[in-house]
Amino acid sequence: MSSMFRMVGKQLKTHPSLIPLFIFIGGGATMSMLYLGRLALKNPDVSWDHKNNPEPWNNIEPNQQYKFFTVNTDYSKLKKDRPDF
Amino acid sequence: MAYPLQLGLQDATSPLMEELIQFHDHTLMIALLLSTMVFYTILTTVTTKLTNKNMLDSQGIETIWTIAPALILILIAMPSLRVLYMMDEVNNPHLTVKTIGHQWYWSYEYTDYKNLEFDSYMIPTQDLIPGQFRLLETDHRMVVPTDSPVRMLITADDVIHSWAVPTLGEKMDAIPGRLNQTTFVVSHPGVFYGQCSEICGANHSFMPISVEAIPLIHFEDWSTSMLAKI
Repeated sequence: MSSMFRMVGKQLKTHPSLIPLFIFIGGGATMSMLYLGRLALKNPDVSWDHKNNPEPWNNIEPNQQYKFFTVNTDYSKLKKDRPDF
Repeated sequence: MAYPLQLGLQDATSPLMEELIQFHDHTLMIALLLSTMVFYTILTTVTTKLTNKNMLDSQGIETIWTIAPALILILIAMPSLRVLYMMDEVNNPHLTVKTIGHQWYWSYEYTDYKNLEFDSYMIPTQDLIPGQFRLLETDHRMVVPTDSPVRMLITADDVIHSWAVPTLGEKMDAIPGRLNQTTFVVSHPGVFYGQCSEICGANHSFMPISVEAIPLIHFEDWSTSMLAKI
């Protein structure tokens, strides 16, 4: 495993144009994994704790932002206008 | 609406579609520029008199053609994700319309205040009056008020259909047993057409959608007259 890194390190010295490649591919892979982790842990469609919170999709607050990014919606300003269960 | 030999997207009738058209133009321009550059490069490579029998490499050009495409992709991804998240926002609808796809017609239900339900069949070609559009006109149009966010709840009764109106930037599958939601705002009055967009049997091409947008003050007149008629 470490011999693989040593081999790549040797090639980087003679081919420095590989460095941007590592940056972009590594960055892309990292961002994808981070987003997948966020989906696994914070998406209300996913249920991990079957005893305490078996159905998170039923416990979403009216002003809870469950999406990663909003353009026009300010979730803190939303009102609750539906009945409780 | 669509016209013969059309190449591009239909003009936008909703703010979302305007965003989609802008994103499409941005991305298509990048694609055309890149294609032109590649075509020119191939042309010069194929017609050159220069020859070299050794292996060639260059760190400089490799760095450039790693960084430049990555930057271009980021420039495409940022507006793309912005429009994608914008399409998912539910912007406090004033009205909810339910539409159910059947073989081979759409039915619409306006149940916010009174129970207005009606079916929308295509007008057969032999029954068209001059000026009407073949395979697009329906006997009852789905009427919505302009400048009002409308929520569509879409499902189907038998097989999968798809409710699509290109000028509004709308397409949502109608799946039996599932309720799909989409929202739109119609910017100006008019009649806007679409066609079923999921193969659903013999008359899949003959179950169009027509949406008529009228100012809000006239909308109640329409719904009252429809309730009296149905």
